[in-house]
Amino acid sequence: MKRTTFAKTACAALAAALASAGCAPSNGGGDAGENPLADSVAAAAEAARFKPPEGGAGELHVYTWSDYFAPDVIETFEKELGCKVVIDTFDSNEAMYAKLKAGGTGYDIITPSSYQIALMAKEGMIRELDQDRIAAVKANFDTSFESQILDPSFRYSVPYAVTYTGFAYLKDKIPEGADVNSWSILGCEALKGKITLLDDIREVLGAGLLATGHDVNATDPAAIEEAVQQVLKWKPNVRKFDSESYKTEVASKATYVGQGYSTDVMQVIVGDEEAGVEPRDDVGFALPKEGFSVAFDEMVLASDAKNAGLAYAFMNYIYQGAVAKANMEYIGGPNPVKPGIDALDEDYREQIVLPAELLPKAKLLKALDDAAMDLYNKAWDRIKATGGTK
Amino acid sequence: MKRSYFSVAVLALVVAFLYVPIVLVFVYAFVPNGITMSFHKANGEFIGFTGRWYAQIFRGDYALKDLMQSFWLSLKVAGLATLVSCVLGTTAALALHRWRGRLQSIHHALVYTPLIMPDILIGISLLMLFVACRVDCGFWTILIAHVTFCVSYVVMTILARLQDFDDRLIEAAYDLGAGPWYTFFKVELPLLMPGIVAGGLLAFTLSIDDVVITSFVNGAGTNTFPTYVNSMVKHSKNLPSVFALSTLMLIFTCVLVGLSKLITGGQQQQKKGKTK
Repeated sequence: MKRTTFAKTACAALAAALASAGCAPSNGGGDAGENPLADSVAAAAEAARFKPPEGGAGELHVYTWSDYFAPDVIETFEKELGCKVVIDTFDSNEAMYAKLKAGGTGYDIITPSSYQIALMAKEGMIRELDQDRIAAVKANFDTSFESQILDPSFRYSVPYAVTYTGFAYLKDKIPEGADVNSWSILGCEALKGKITLLDDIREVLGAGLLATGHDVNATDPAAIEEAVQQVLKWKPNVRKFDSESYKTEVASKATYVGQGYSTDVMQVIVGDEEAGVEPRDDVGFALPKEGFSVAFDEMVLASDAKNAGLAYAFMNYIYQGAVAKANMEYIGGPNPVKPGIDALDEDYREQIVLPAELLPKAKLLKALDDAAMDLYNKAWDRIKATGGTK
Repeated sequence: MKRSYFSVAVLALVVAFLYVPIVLVFVYAFVPNGITMSFHKANGEFIGFTGRWYAQIFRGDYALKDLMQSFWLSLKVAGLATLVSCVLGTTAALALHRWRGRLQSIHHALVYTPLIMPDILIGISLLMLFVACRVDCGFWTILIAHVTFCVSYVVMTILARLQDFDDRLIEAAYDLGAGPWYTFFKVELPLLMPGIVAGGLLAFTLSIDDVVITSFVNGAGTNTFPTYVNSMVKHSKNLPSVFALSTLMLIFTCVLVGLSKLITGGQQQQKKGKTK
C-alpha cells in the first residue's frame, strides 16, 4: 500500500512548504528531517512573505489538465492551510489560451505547456514570479531536467510535469527485425493498418522532421517538405490520426503501435492497484533513438491572481519530495523534483524517468511564429488530404 | 396483409441510433477498468461488472469533488434559470398576446431571434458584454446567459397555449365582479399553467445541458456539469463516474417525466369524466 502512509509524509512536506512560504508549521518542528534543503534554504528566504490570514487562507483557483494533481495532495493542502482549492480543467493549450484571451479571469495558477508560456507572457496574461518566494522550487529542482525546459531561471514559470512522445506498443506483435525504438517502425509493412499517429500537427510533423534528421522545431521549407514526404511514406500503414483512444486500442489489441504520450501509456502499463486495474506487462513504451519530442507543463501565475501568496505556497508545496512522489505516481510522469524522484520505488523510477543517455535525444517543442505555423498548417493539410489506408 | 420488412428495418435502425448510445453509457458505467475502458483482461478473460463508480459517487469520493460540485451548480443554475424565465416568459407572452402593434411585432421578433441565433454567437456576444461592463464571469453571468436563451422557448410555448385561449372567460370573470389581479391569478394563470410547465421543463433541459454558451460565460471555479465533463473526456480516468452520474440523471428524468404524465394524464381523465 503505497498511499496509506501518504497523509503522514504529506503533512511533513506541507509543514516544510509552509515554513518556506513563511508561516509557522502548526505541528512543531519534528519534520525538519523530511526536507532539510527546503527547510533551511526556504524558511529564511520566504519568512514574512506569506502568512495565511486569520480564519483561513481563502481560495486558490487552479486552471489545469484533468486528473493532473493527486486528490490526496490537494486535500491535504486544503486541510492544513484552511483554504479551498478550486480546480478548473482545460483539454488543450489552445482552449485555455482562448478562454483567457476572451476575458476569462479569476485563476491564480495555470499549467500550460512550456511553448505557450512566452506568448502568454507577451500578452500580459501572466506575471513574473517573485524569485524570493519560490525558494523550495529552486532548492528541490532536479537540474538534470534543465535541458528540457525553456526557462531554467523560472522567470515566469515553474515546471510541473513532463511528457515524452513515443510509441505505445504490444510487445508480442512487433515483427522480428523491426526496431520499435526507431521512427522506422512506422514504415514496417507487417504492421500495416495497425498503427495510429497522434492527431496533432506538431507531433506528427515533428516525427517526420526527427526521422529525416532535422530539428523538431525546424522552420525551413525544405526540411518541412522532407518531413511531409516522410509522413506520407508512413501514411499507408497508418490506420488513423487519433490522440484519445489509442491507449484503449493498444490495450484491447486493436492497434499494435500507437504514437502516444508517456503519461497516458504509463497509466496503462502500471495499472492502478487501488482501482483494481491490473498492470499490463505485454504493453511497452518506446522512445525513438533518432529523437523524440518533449512537452513540459509548467505552473504560471495569472496576472490578475487574487491570492498570489497562496499560489506561491502551492508551488513550493508541489516541490516537496513526498508531494512530488504522490503526484508522479498519480500522473505516471516525472516531476523535476529531486527529493521526489529519489523517493520513488526503483522500478517505477526506471519506468518513468528518462535515463541520462537519452536526455540529449529529448527535443523540446518550441512556439513557432505565424509564418512558420502557416507552413506547418499547409503541410498538415496535405498530409491529411493525401489518401491513406482505405 | 403482408408485413413490410422495409418499414420494420427503418424502425429498428431509428431505434438503434437513438437508444444504443444511451444503453452503452449505461453499460460502461459498470466498466471495471477506467483506463482502458475494457471489460476484459489482457488475455481476453472477462472480468465482470463493478459498482465501484456508483459507490464513488454515493461515498462522496474526494477525486470526484469537482465533478459533483459542477453537478450541483448545474442543478442550481437550471432551477433558477427555469424559475426566472418562466416569470419573464409568461409576462412577455401575455403582453404579446394582448396588445398588437408595430412595437409588438418588433418585440416578437426580439424574443424569437435567440431561437434561431447560433449558440456560439449568443455566447461570444454575452461574453463581450460582460467584459465591457467589467463583470467578473461566474455564477451570475451563467444564470443571465441561460435566462436569455430560455426565455424565448418559454414565451413560444405559452404563446402557443394562448392561441386557443378563450378570451371570453376573462370577460366573464370581469362581469362577475373580479378585478384584474383576481382574474389573472384565478382564471388566466391556472388555464395557462400547462403551457408554463411545459415551457419550464423545456427551459430546464436546455439549461442543464448547455455547453457552448456556458463555456464562454463561466469563470474560475464555476464549471457546470456539461462543461466539466467536456473538459475531462479526453484525459480523465474517472470517466466511468460520469457515465454512472449520467445514468442516474437519466433515471431521475424518466421518473420525473413519468410522474408528470401520471399527473396530467389523471387530470385529463377527470376532465373527460366531467364533460360527459
